[in-house]
Amino acid sequence: MNVSGERTFAAPRATVWKVLNDPASMAKTMPGVESFDVQDDKHWTANVKIPLGLGGLKMKIAMEKTEERELEFAKMAIKGNGVGAMMNMTTTFELADAPDGGTAMKWAADVKIAGPVGSMGQRVLQPIVNQQVDGVLASLDAEVQEALAAG
Amino acid sequence: MSDMSTTVAPAPVEVKKGWAGQSVPRKEDKRLVQGEGVFVDDVKRHGMGYVFFVRSPYAHAHITSIDVSQAEAIKGVYGTLTGEEVASLTDPFFQLSTPPGAHLKDFALAVGKVRYVGEAVVAVVAETRELARDASELVEIEYEPLDPVTDARRAQDDGVEILHEDSGSNLMWEGVYEWGDLDAAFAEADKIVKIDELHFHRFNSTPLETDGALVEYNRGVGQWTLYTNNQFPGFAAIMMGPAMRCGLDKLRFVTQDIGGGFGNKITSHPQLVVCCLLARKLNRPIQWTEWRTDFHLSMSHGNERWFHDTEVAVKSDGTLLGFRTKALDDAGAWLRYEPLGGVIWAQVTPGMYRWRNIRLEFTQVATNKAPVSPNRGYSRMQHLWFTERVIDIVAHELGLDPVEVRKRNYIRAEDMPYETPNGCVYDSGDYAQMLDVALGLIGHDGIEARRAEASARGKLLGVGIGSTLDSGTNNFGQSRMINPELQFSGNNEVATVKLDIFGEIVVTLGTTPQGQGHETTAAQVVADILSCSIDDVQVRAGHDSYWNSHAGFSGTYASQFAVTGLSAVKGATEMLAAEIKKLASAIFGGVPVEALELADGGVRIAENPDAFLPFMACGAIINANNAGLPEDLGVTLNCRYVYRPPFQVPDVEKKFGNLTLTYAAQVHVAVVEIDPETGAYEVVDYAAVDDCGKRIHPQIVEGQVMGATAQALGAATHEQFEYDAEGNLLTPNFYDYHVPHALDMPPLKTGSIESPSPFTPLGTKGMGEGGGAGIHAVCAAVQDALRGHGDAIVWDSCNPYHRVWEMLSNPGASRSLVSVVDA
Repeated sequence: MNVSGERTFAAPRATVWKVLNDPASMAKTMPGVESFDVQDDKHWTANVKIPLGLGGLKMKIAMEKTEERELEFAKMAIKGNGVGAMMNMTTTFELADAPDGGTAMKWAADVKIAGPVGSMGQRVLQPIVNQQVDGVLASLDAEVQEALAAG
Repeated sequence: MSDMSTTVAPAPVEVKKGWAGQSVPRKEDKRLVQGEGVFVDDVKRHGMGYVFFVRSPYAHAHITSIDVSQAEAIKGVYGTLTGEEVASLTDPFFQLSTPPGAHLKDFALAVGKVRYVGEAVVAVVAETRELARDASELVEIEYEPLDPVTDARRAQDDGVEILHEDSGSNLMWEGVYEWGDLDAAFAEADKIVKIDELHFHRFNSTPLETDGALVEYNRGVGQWTLYTNNQFPGFAAIMMGPAMRCGLDKLRFVTQDIGGGFGNKITSHPQLVVCCLLARKLNRPIQWTEWRTDFHLSMSHGNERWFHDTEVAVKSDGTLLGFRTKALDDAGAWLRYEPLGGVIWAQVTPGMYRWRNIRLEFTQVATNKAPVSPNRGYSRMQHLWFTERVIDIVAHELGLDPVEVRKRNYIRAEDMPYETPNGCVYDSGDYAQMLDVALGLIGHDGIEARRAEASARGKLLGVGIGSTLDSGTNNFGQSRMINPELQFSGNNEVATVKLDIFGEIVVTLGTTPQGQGHETTAAQVVADILSCSIDDVQVRAGHDSYWNSHAGFSGTYASQFAVTGLSAVKGATEMLAAEIKKLASAIFGGVPVEALELADGGVRIAENPDAFLPFMACGAIINANNAGLPEDLGVTLNCRYVYRPPFQVPDVEKKFGNLTLTYAAQVHVAVVEIDPETGAYEVVDYAAVDDCGKRIHPQIVEGQVMGATAQALGAATHEQFEYDAEGNLLTPNFYDYHVPHALDMPPLKTGSIESPSPFTPLGTKGMGEGGGAGIHAVCAAVQDALRGHGDAIVWDSCNPYHRVWEMLSNPGASRSLVSVVDA
């Protein structure tokens, strides 16, 4: 499943970039994060409980930043392992100066959930993902504003 | 809402007074309705461990590592089994196919690679079912995903991933069947109807009881006892024995009650091997009860089949001359019973019609889906759906009446027994009469008035016919058309009937009944021959391969009990009757056996009924009081009979021969009403007419007809195993896979005629698999309803509301599949 969108933040690119690259900040934006560990600046892991279909799906998530151009572009590969389900996701963020000020972010994600739980959740996956994306972006906006305020 | 009414057409044969032919109370039902049946999950043993299978979340992936250490460290976990262990302890299962399918290396657990979502990778055993399931979450398996193959039509494209490197391609088996003179048929035709693509979808039959087993290992003698609901132990044994490197005498199969089979319980041998290995490894009984989602994910999907490039040669008046088509069969990931589907269809090559010129190119491929295996109507249902679709599309495109086209082309009663172009012999039947009875039941004469009345309510009414054959009693020699090296032919079944010491009449069957009432019908046959009450006949419940009533083809499958099982019972009982008379002759001082008769639970001199020897005396004399009997008496009162149908080995080169002994038939008629705004529709009237020859127990037959109809309506309207492009099964549970409830059933009218088989000892025919007729009928009814509203062509066997809406909204999409050209 592919999802994508655009969002404008009322903050300079450096601030948005900083938030996107700060594991602690990102952890606050993600849904259902129960713990979060940073291995190095390119590898993070998390234990999450993703709302999916009939109930929460517990997963161990491993994130790897596979590509980046500072202040412009980042690509991450995310693998999740849960009981009866596995998630593979690649996501990209592309930053640019917004015409009216602030930062415009184009983002895209290719999400694949495999296995029996994935099968059960397929029919409700799209609306759930949309709902979660809205939540992530709102949280991200809050994090950006907090970072901006903190200077 | 269900509004059941039954109409029985006048029986054309004489009703013989006796137990057979009567719907007596079933002997099994008391224990079943009182909850006293013994199903596999009721079998308990001290210290047994419960097995749970860890299954693949990927449709196609290499297994890079397996770590069971965390699971095994849990208190209460008895142990695990991995594919690597299986590969070292067993050999791959024997393959029925010729190359390339012959090269598959199929083990009981995935070895090195997974090939469908739900494939078993590791087995975990624990002291409770729940603990085994929980511990399975601690098994860590690393995968390296591969692109899945989910569309059989793309399976042989360049660049597509190969499922089985050993076979070198995704092609599993292919064969060309051709009979008659196609060139002459097409030269004679006025019209050629072309159909680019038809699709028969993937579904199965959902037994109430899932698969299961309780397996014990007797270490001292190296023998396993498998309490299991596998419905074809003979097949399981020949798959398991060589793989496990043991003789078949080391595998004892035992069953009492089984909660439905439908063919879906034939191919549980991989799971049974796992249980056997675990029972030996862990030195404790192993209990396996399949979870319902596991059943949906991994067991016995029916064959999905495509029909491409079909051409039908037809005269302007609707006379059918011949057809050619290409059948593409999706076997799923493994050949667990396949490629037998590649020949089973040929039992009903021309359907119910007088087609003499036929060519069918059959191709079977592997895909990353659950393996297919027999499902009620196995392989014939797909082909008969195709022939019925052809009939209705031809009628539709040529503007002919589907009733008339059928009657013009049906094989006629006076042509019976009828040899088909490929050498099968339809034994008896009157298909036109069956159609008349079915049409009468739904009031076909008034259908146009009903159509108008529905139209006034804004509904589109359609009527459709489904004619189908239920070929029964396989000649296993047909397997040689798949692989000439296979050493199978004919068929057999066994029964023993004996008189015990107190005169008990004890019947032992080789079959594995799953609700078909074998105990009752066997008792009816025995009671008629021995002239006693069915209450005096004790039929052992279930199956035990250690009983001496077991042959290579023993089991219950493929519509054959009424022929194979009951003929064996008849043979054994007649042997016993003869022995009873022989004994009585000696006891009565040499009275000729011809002067003796069986009556009232004993044997007597016909002209002197007071000279009477009850069965109790006979049993006691032979078993416990036999001093002084003539040395050459030759009576044991324990008679075993093997029924062997009269088959020859088919001609493999010409693909010609009699593939099944009997041909029961069903004709169904469905009336549907469609809401043109939404595509939602309802079956508002329905008739099913059955002819299975002599009926031993009409109520059991009618139950089969109703059950088969429910199967058909579920399949026709919503039951489907649907996969996404990643190979995820989207319908692995009852939320998404809706099995018809009683309230889903339409008003159902049933009728019957009896055309006794001339080829079977009792005039019976096997039956129970006629459900396809309902699928054909609903498809035809939907197409009829859409006539004049875009004239869409029904091209898929499953038509949920959204598909009907699509046909209404965009009829051109399906119309583009069909064309008619002048010959």
